[in-house]
Amino acid sequence: MTRALARMAAWRLAFAAPLVLVVTLGMFALAKASPFDPVRQYLGDRALTTSPEIARQIRESWGLDRPVAEQYLTWLGNLLRGEFGESRSMHRPVAEVIGERLGWTLLAAGCAVVLMLVASLVVGAVAAWRQGSWIDRLITGTAYANEAAPVFWTALIAIWVFAVKLRWLPAGGLTDAATGAVEPGDVLRHMILPVAVLAFSQSSWLLLFVRESLITTLREDFVVGARARGLRERTVIVRHALRSALLPFITLLGARVPELVTGAILVETVFSWPGVASASVQAALAADFPLLAALTLLATLAVVAGNLLADSAYAIADPRVRVLGVS
Amino acid sequence: MTAHTHITPVRRTHWLAVTVLAALALAVLVVPILARLDQQLVDLRLASLPPSLAHPFGTDEVGRDVLLRAVYGLRVSLLVGLAAALVSVTIGTLAGLVAGALGGTADRVLMRVVDGFNSVPHLLFGIFIVALFSPSATAVVVSVALTHWMTAARIVRSEVLSLRARPFVDAAISGGSSRLRIVRRHLLPHLTPHIALAAVLMVPHAIWHETALSFLGLGLPPHLASLGNMINDGARSLLAGNWWASLFPGLFILLPTLAISSLAQYWRDRANPRRRSELQL
Amino acid sequence: MTTSAGSRLRVDGLTVRFHLPGATVHAVTDAHFTVGQGECLALVGESGCGKSVMAHALLGLLPGNATITGSARLETGDASPVELIGAPERLLARTVRGRRVGLVPQSPAAHLTPVRTARAQLTEALRELGNPAPADDLAARAGLRPRDLDLYPHQLSGGMAQRVVNAIALAGDPWLVIADEPTSGLDRPLVDATMAELRRLTGEGRAVLLITHDLRAAEQVADHVAVMYAGRIVSLDLAGEFFAGPRHPYAAGLLDALPSRRFTAIPGRPPELTDLPAGCAFRPRCARADAACDDVPSMPAGAGRVACHHPLESHAAR
Repeated sequence: MTRALARMAAWRLAFAAPLVLVVTLGMFALAKASPFDPVRQYLGDRALTTSPEIARQIRESWGLDRPVAEQYLTWLGNLLRGEFGESRSMHRPVAEVIGERLGWTLLAAGCAVVLMLVASLVVGAVAAWRQGSWIDRLITGTAYANEAAPVFWTALIAIWVFAVKLRWLPAGGLTDAATGAVEPGDVLRHMILPVAVLAFSQSSWLLLFVRESLITTLREDFVVGARARGLRERTVIVRHALRSALLPFITLLGARVPELVTGAILVETVFSWPGVASASVQAALAADFPLLAALTLLATLAVVAGNLLADSAYAIADPRVRVLGVS
Repeated sequence: MTAHTHITPVRRTHWLAVTVLAALALAVLVVPILARLDQQLVDLRLASLPPSLAHPFGTDEVGRDVLLRAVYGLRVSLLVGLAAALVSVTIGTLAGLVAGALGGTADRVLMRVVDGFNSVPHLLFGIFIVALFSPSATAVVVSVALTHWMTAARIVRSEVLSLRARPFVDAAISGGSSRLRIVRRHLLPHLTPHIALAAVLMVPHAIWHETALSFLGLGLPPHLASLGNMINDGARSLLAGNWWASLFPGLFILLPTLAISSLAQYWRDRANPRRRSELQL
Repeated sequence: MTTSAGSRLRVDGLTVRFHLPGATVHAVTDAHFTVGQGECLALVGESGCGKSVMAHALLGLLPGNATITGSARLETGDASPVELIGAPERLLARTVRGRRVGLVPQSPAAHLTPVRTARAQLTEALRELGNPAPADDLAARAGLRPRDLDLYPHQLSGGMAQRVVNAIALAGDPWLVIADEPTSGLDRPLVDATMAELRRLTGEGRAVLLITHDLRAAEQVADHVAVMYAGRIVSLDLAGEFFAGPRHPYAAGLLDALPSRRFTAIPGRPPELTDLPAGCAFRPRCARADAACDDVPSMPAGAGRVACHHPLESHAAR
């Protein structure tokens, strides 16, 4: 089994490598087509007073006078060596910026994913179990509206209700302290709203999926079979119906990483959360190509990893796939 | 035995959806004739008024009517969304046609490219493009189109592949028709409904992207009344208690999205009643 | 199992209707029968005549659009009598299913949860039904090796899946076992083995309700044979008398269709349960039908019963 799994992982990675290459090529091509001149941007206001000679020297030292293909290969080589360059907007190495912010994003997004999983499993199962009742209508109605609502708007409504009206929670930031000292309790209080909004915005598809999948499964022969055996209702729902209904959802979960990244970008920005996702917006506003490119690549790797994880999880969870190995 | 036949009644929500869309369309078409936005001056005496009879959606922080601006914003967002949907479906159709009709290496390479585009989160990709080409309506349209053509490409490709297996295409080929002629005379007419549906479904996505980019300050120019810009403006006065300046423009995104997706659902259920979804409002 | 000789399942006037938009399915109409201690009643008929619905009705497993009327009283010596029809879900789940009435379901592999091994499901049933016996023992009695239990449902052969569901059905030591088409998809030797297993169950003092369209299988184990046509029980005989010479024209037709007999099928097809003809439902296919058959024939009380205006001579009379 582990061998089949390893083979599948290797297979996936073999596909992922050209994929990441395509993405880097695309990014590089876009950057080359861009009207932005990195040297001008580097010089800023000094651009007008700097002599063309010095500008040319900078250009040369950055390798911008070389053929495009060579520039791409140099850049790719640097990326592979983990040299992401210097963030032009934050005037610090890109790796340092990401290293400092990645933890906050992982913390918030990780909590949101766990919250989303638990909440939508429970709520989706309740809706399926009480299919057609008013509570089911309420749940599915809210989920549909939530699916159609832009997350930044939902976030603003949440701020208005919980931070402005009720004054229960802070409206944004990482801490209250002006000194910049990071207290766990303080961070926790600041985390609640962004995590809840991110989880809520990501939960509707999952909840609807769990509901529909469970409704279909509840009519399956094996659920009737389990019920006919005299098992308790809870056992029938949890250990027979839900367990089978959740299989396809494992794959879907891994495939949802792009949506999670999108949600994180908007939520982190609204709540001024100092993570990598909001950094991408700041980098974009400042046309900071090295930082933006590194973040885009990071997100792509996250998507690829999500797919890989989903496949492996599915292979472990479903005995039918497990036997077939690579499928 | 029929013991496990379940039939879910089809609810009539699609009429509600049609009504909502018609009302919004009417507003977008008629309101600009009745009231010009540029005549609405900044008037700080009217700043941040809550909803009232005179201003049903309230006023923003510089005293402009939120309802009027939201209608104009919806119009801008719809135009940008439509343009982006058209461009993306055109790119997707061409790519799908090429992949499906040529097959072989061209197909494999194109599908790899589709995978590549799909593995970058769309909003991030959009941000990337807008950042490199400075925020403008064109950049927004291009970025939305470049991040959304893959769905249409997949649909068209698989349709072409299934059409290629059908006898009338064989007959045309053995009759000596050129590839281009086969595509134009035989494939395109069959593909049109699929492409049209893909385009309609793309519009809410495109609107969502436009508003998200504008909200982040990476979309349409800030002076333009667009829904994303309005929510961005509203966010600034939110802490002062002005909820209406962000709530109502958001509803103008939510309602058409909900209406279009409910219509699409209705359409799919009608086309394929056996797969009728339980997911109905 | 401690039960007295008077234990029985008594079904009276059981009627099941399914309500679909624009149609009503007459799945079971006015069924009467009794299954006693150590007896096997075979309920036979073509597929789609309402046999399986009967099994699900007795266990309260029908979907919400079904209405069930009539009575099905389970009277066993070891527990208080219980009325199965209209019993609350809780009562059925806690005291009847698995514990007093076990179900051997149709297409066994489909009735096992695909993502869990046979062992997990058997052990779970034993635990929840309070049976301390090890899973391996129960499996061995059903003819399974311990390692068979570690397979997933899709890895089990048809015969193994059959044995697994047999073992699970017996986990709660039920007085009555309902076997719903236990032979479909099995080859002859496996059919014979399954029938032998059912005979063993009656030998232990259990009652068996065998639902089948396979008359040859029924012949091996049945004490009584009830023939169902279009939702009604049209004849109920002792097995010996039934196989020697059935009195209902439909029952005779079923027997004549056997390869070992005349191998001639009954002409026509059974009616749709949503659209039953007026009068005797078998009339359109019946050679003996006349004007009297405009009325639905009633089912008299007592053994050797037949619901027909023109029954055939019994074997004894012939």
